[in-house]
Amino acid sequence: MTGVDGAGGNGSPPLVVLERITKRFPGIVANDEVDLELRAGEVHALIGENGAGKSTLMRVLYGIYPHEGGRILVRGQETKIGSPRDAIALGIGMVHQHFVLVDPFTVTENIILGEEGGAVLDVDAAQERVAELAEQYAFRVAPSAVVEDLSVGEEQRVEILKALYRGVEILILDEPTAVLTPGETQDLFENLRKLREAGRTIVFISHKLDEVLQIADRITVLRRGKVVGETRPAETSKAKLAEMMVGRPVLFRLEKPRVEIGEPVLRVESLTGEGKLNGVDLEVRAGEILGIAGVEGNGQRELAESLIGLRKPTVGTISLDGQEIGGRSVGDIRNAGVAYIPEDRHEQGLVLSMTLWENAVLGRQDDAEFSSGLGVLLIRKIKALTARLVKLFDVRTRSIEVTASTLSGGNQQKLILARELETDPKLLIASQPTRGLDVGAIEFVWKQILEQKAAGRAVLLISAELDEIYALSDRIVTLYEGRITGEFAPDAAPEDIGVGMLGGATAEVA
Amino acid sequence: MAVESPPVLERPVDVPEARPEWVERFVGQLLALLASLAIAIVLGSVLIVAYGENPLQVYSSIIDGSLGSVDGFGYVLSIATPLIFSALAVCVCFKGGMFNIGVEGQYLVAMVTASWAALELDFLPGPLLVVAILIAAMLGGMAWAAIPGILKVKTGAHEVVTTIMLNLVAVSLLAWAINFPLKFTVRPEGQNVDLRTDLFSQKGLIGDIGQFFGVTPGAHLSWLLFVAIAAAIVVWFLLRRTRLGYEARAVGSSPGSARSGGVLIGSIQLRLFLISGALAGLVGMQQILADKGYLGQAYQTQLGFTGIAVAFLGQNNPIGIIFAAILWGILSRGEVSLQIGSEVPREFIIILQSILILTVVIVYQIAKRRLAARQLQRAGAAGALEDSASPGESAGPRGPESAAAEAFEPADDTGN
Repeated sequence: MTGVDGAGGNGSPPLVVLERITKRFPGIVANDEVDLELRAGEVHALIGENGAGKSTLMRVLYGIYPHEGGRILVRGQETKIGSPRDAIALGIGMVHQHFVLVDPFTVTENIILGEEGGAVLDVDAAQERVAELAEQYAFRVAPSAVVEDLSVGEEQRVEILKALYRGVEILILDEPTAVLTPGETQDLFENLRKLREAGRTIVFISHKLDEVLQIADRITVLRRGKVVGETRPAETSKAKLAEMMVGRPVLFRLEKPRVEIGEPVLRVESLTGEGKLNGVDLEVRAGEILGIAGVEGNGQRELAESLIGLRKPTVGTISLDGQEIGGRSVGDIRNAGVAYIPEDRHEQGLVLSMTLWENAVLGRQDDAEFSSGLGVLLIRKIKALTARLVKLFDVRTRSIEVTASTLSGGNQQKLILARELETDPKLLIASQPTRGLDVGAIEFVWKQILEQKAAGRAVLLISAELDEIYALSDRIVTLYEGRITGEFAPDAAPEDIGVGMLGGATAEVA
Repeated sequence: MAVESPPVLERPVDVPEARPEWVERFVGQLLALLASLAIAIVLGSVLIVAYGENPLQVYSSIIDGSLGSVDGFGYVLSIATPLIFSALAVCVCFKGGMFNIGVEGQYLVAMVTASWAALELDFLPGPLLVVAILIAAMLGGMAWAAIPGILKVKTGAHEVVTTIMLNLVAVSLLAWAINFPLKFTVRPEGQNVDLRTDLFSQKGLIGDIGQFFGVTPGAHLSWLLFVAIAAAIVVWFLLRRTRLGYEARAVGSSPGSARSGGVLIGSIQLRLFLISGALAGLVGMQQILADKGYLGQAYQTQLGFTGIAVAFLGQNNPIGIIFAAILWGILSRGEVSLQIGSEVPREFIIILQSILILTVVIVYQIAKRRLAARQLQRAGAAGALEDSASPGESAGPRGPESAAAEAFEPADDTGN
């Protein structure tokens, strides 16, 4: 725990002052007279639900959006920031959620892009400077590595270095940990601490409260475009922050419904495939939630995709209610009673350019209910279904005719849940079901998953968030390098599960 | 100022609200088309002035030649007919995320199979013979399209590469056919005889409809025009109202989500290629059945490639394609009057067509972004704004391929 106190800058005048900033989009006040102060050498967390206006506010500061009301003072001087270029000139840099890197270029080439300084490139000198910067702030990334070979975490480091290379003093990070594994998150925090020690200011946009409490010096909470409070980690708690964000108390531990655990629904034996799965044995029973914990990249994705039929296992059997489904097509497996919440809702869940009703029927377009024998879609029925699902799952939208891309992340996930659960599955495979969602939406998704259990369905929960595994599971297994390395009761100590996640717990299978 | 919260957030959903969205898209597209047309005309004027001519005069001579007389318009529609087929063929594949550059080769092969049917099946009674020829043409196109389709599904060979190569093969195949198996048995009169097939029997030809509207028979306006319009409606229905079309669009915009939804991507892609090939098969029918009455060496080429441009111009909307083909026809027909009426070289028309495509692409892209932004904002979820779900914003990391696809794909998902 470093940064117990706001390192340095407390007495000093604020570096940046946002005064009564108002930003309107047609129909929405994204920022409503927001005040914010950033001081030198602090990590300032900006938290709020999706749509609270935190990214918008920072985009105003970074010069992406013009603001209608209020003023911005940088180092005591009122300033107009008309573009990101202006912002960088003032020492303000921002790293977005989506990276903009040139894949075939090296790290250094990416960093100097646009800042080459002269017609003739001096790559060596630049490389040295990049290496120095990386060294100074403990960024683990090789300046000569090619970006397309990097992991997501490394790409993020390149983005941050890019800002630092331009002499940025105030670094805005928009949901930086959304794309990181827990380990990478800790690495990032290490970098941030170094940056803070060097007197730089960091704005940390997030809705992950544990992380905010861990890294921030000050926390500003936004709700629906307004500041609802400012606090410090020492003065608050996760529950208090969540309540400020959502406007009502949020339950982090939901009551698990008491259900009699029934017969095995899913049975997986020595499942092996594509080098990522090395003989997985599993059993999930009716009314049971089996949580699969593990560091990402240890076969979670492959496991989920094999179960739903997107990958063909090379060895092993998968049976559903005693019926072999391994190697069958996705359609067959879905028809047999498996529902799937994919870890990447944009890649595998929704067709973003299609309307809500078109998305709501995806996977069931073959049902006699939704298309005639001649293959003509029964649009009226599909729309009726969608209207019902949208109401039932409280998907916030103006109409079911808009494209799925217009929904917020939480509402997109609700739509997927609604679609998948509507089929009355025997087994639900939920892969990272709350990734990127805010507190309110997480609570909703969790409730829905617990309801599946209450209805006597089997649930296989795959999550990188140990919190989530604990909150929902009846039984926990750890997955490491494509093998099950341990089985734990839901009250097992996190340290023990951590050992399993690193592969060392084979002996203590419960 | 004292807005507590965005009220739109809480509004419940109801289905009938869809109408304005639909109207808005339609009006938006119309405005975009008019705007791009206007920009193209202005840019064209600059060129004309640079050439020392009067733009008004040039444009009016184009209009005169195409829309100024019944004959002129007859020619325009006749030019448009094969282009509608070929643009539809491109559009069908494109909706499934594939680029069929092989329409050119597919219609050449189709002309061969159609000629074979015309010559070999002429024992059939008139109407049946025509139907048989058209079916033979569609089968020929399908067969040629099946090759890249199967190669793509089975081996992953990219359809752009395979179709381009098959185009070249088709040229030779046609040459071989009229040199050997289909070569005339009755030598035509005259000295410099073109290599060609025998004349088809009269009952196998497609009737001229120009005469009913007072269009000169020289325009070769045939009832294939109605077949083309019907085909456009069928394609629209296929894409918008059937399971196949639905799955195709899902595959085209998000293969991963389609696969997770149980869609068999390979099967969809192959079927799209077959449909595309069948449509391509009809491209050459006007020239051999309504115009020439035989398949010769001097057949009209480039219709497949022009179809890509027309599909572009029609923003891959089957109904839009009809109008795009007519617009293309107007410009192409203008070429003739231009040569008579001014000193501007005929290539000017090609330049104008190209400018038009460019402006359409650019203006539509802008219009699409604005529409998307408005949708987003009105969707009430400021969260969606932050969630980087905005299509314009996320263009960066998705790679050039999808960005290019997006440029080609307009906001024509009218849903209704």
